[in-house]
Amino acid sequence: MNSQSAPHQESERTLAEGGTASSAKESKIKGLKCRECGRLYPAVAIHICEFCFGPLEVDYDYAAIGRRISRRSIEEGPQSLWRYQELLPVTGSPTVGLHAGMTPLIHAKRLGKLLGLDNLYLKNDTVNHPTLSFKDRVVAVAMTRARELGFDTVACASTGNLANSVSAHAASVGMKCFVFIPHDLEAGKILGNLIYNPTVVAVKGNYDDVNRLCSEIGGEYPWAFVNINIRPYYAEGSKSLAFETVEQLGWRIPDQVVVPIASGSLLTKIRKGFQEFEKLGLVSPNDRLKVNGAQAEGCSPVYRAFVSGKNHLVPVKPNTIAKSLAIGNPADGFYSLDVVFKSGGAIAAASDPEIVEGMKILAETEGVFAETAGGVTIASLRKLCAEGRIGRKDLTVAYITGNGLKTMEALAGALPDPVSIDPTLASFRKTVNPSN
Amino acid sequence: MTQMRLHLTFPEERVREPIIYEICRKFPVIVNIRRADISLDSGWVELEMDGELADIERTVSYLRERGVHVDPLEKSILEG
Repeated sequence: MNSQSAPHQESERTLAEGGTASSAKESKIKGLKCRECGRLYPAVAIHICEFCFGPLEVDYDYAAIGRRISRRSIEEGPQSLWRYQELLPVTGSPTVGLHAGMTPLIHAKRLGKLLGLDNLYLKNDTVNHPTLSFKDRVVAVAMTRARELGFDTVACASTGNLANSVSAHAASVGMKCFVFIPHDLEAGKILGNLIYNPTVVAVKGNYDDVNRLCSEIGGEYPWAFVNINIRPYYAEGSKSLAFETVEQLGWRIPDQVVVPIASGSLLTKIRKGFQEFEKLGLVSPNDRLKVNGAQAEGCSPVYRAFVSGKNHLVPVKPNTIAKSLAIGNPADGFYSLDVVFKSGGAIAAASDPEIVEGMKILAETEGVFAETAGGVTIASLRKLCAEGRIGRKDLTVAYITGNGLKTMEALAGALPDPVSIDPTLASFRKTVNPSN
Repeated sequence: MTQMRLHLTFPEERVREPIIYEICRKFPVIVNIRRADISLDSGWVELEMDGELADIERTVSYLRERGVHVDPLEKSILEG
């Protein structure tokens, strides 16, 4: 574990001296703080409280931030998530992922009509830059911070979107990159990483073996493991989804949000993003906000805890087509459950056929081709509407976190074949019969 | 010597059994519980385990055989 410490030393100097841009006047990061016991740590590459083993979070100086941030300063910022840099855990100017974020917020009138919602919006991260998923947000923040901390090597353990994003961002700035995957991952997903030329390490073992090995590697090597030792910074990037939502709604907090749950971090950070804007007076509080979660039935430990009314999660072996949500023992599962309970929201779960149906209705009504996680979100939204948990007039935002081109295999056999005709007008008229 | 930090989840049918005691008796590992939450029907324990790597791995295998879910402290690392 001690070998991690080498790149950290530089960071403390950076923090003490401030950085560039926003931090030149006064530092906005006080350090890291244990979510459980409140113990404080310097803002270095650590993620667990050495005293109680609780997770560490970035501790901001909101008074200092409040003196600098305003709606105007945000609106004059870049067309990317970096317009919210004051509330992201970097001390200098961004250096990685300069074009991530500011994805469209679509007023989904046709899908809303189908579901009985007058004010449904979709936050469309299927078109995020550069790798078409919300992971481009968290990786942009994680890798900018990692470079500030002096790391020259980045790593992650992933089966899909995260690996894509880390590999692409590493390539864009010339960082060394290690991606750890299970050895039996589909060829298509491996190619999607290899194109960026990282070192892809296929681990011969089951899911648990890969998990444990990566945790050990993360502790042994002086690398920025984005979802291990850089996790406190990485996770903060998800707040930008909430910030953009508020701004794109005309500086309003929605009444309902529906968020897919994998590790649970995304859901908790979206709530945190709304809270930070409220705290800084950038938006009026909305006491009606309900935070809702969406899981795939084949990997639904948080949903199961929700319906049983318990706060203990029972780990599961994932078995779902929604691979990007297939986390059997989610690190932030308990915390996401807590956010849902406290907001008065709910969690729904979707079966594999329902996930495919969710992908189809999203594409057919709004022209958005989402990956399976998007199908989970839409199928869960549909259930929450049917149960009366989301009302017709509620200002509702559903988060679509990845592009359908990444999970096309999930649609095999689920869509009709093309209409086949001879190259004649007569054949077209007879077979297609467009007047019908 | 190696140290691992583990998150153990106990299912309802195991939550009343002295499994931590058993592993300390059966294997040459030193266990230090740092955080835990146990109820009547489930529970989790976060601990440090010190020992030779092979002994730690045998201990983890034994825990799994006994129905305990064993993760690294970070829980599921492998993200989609």
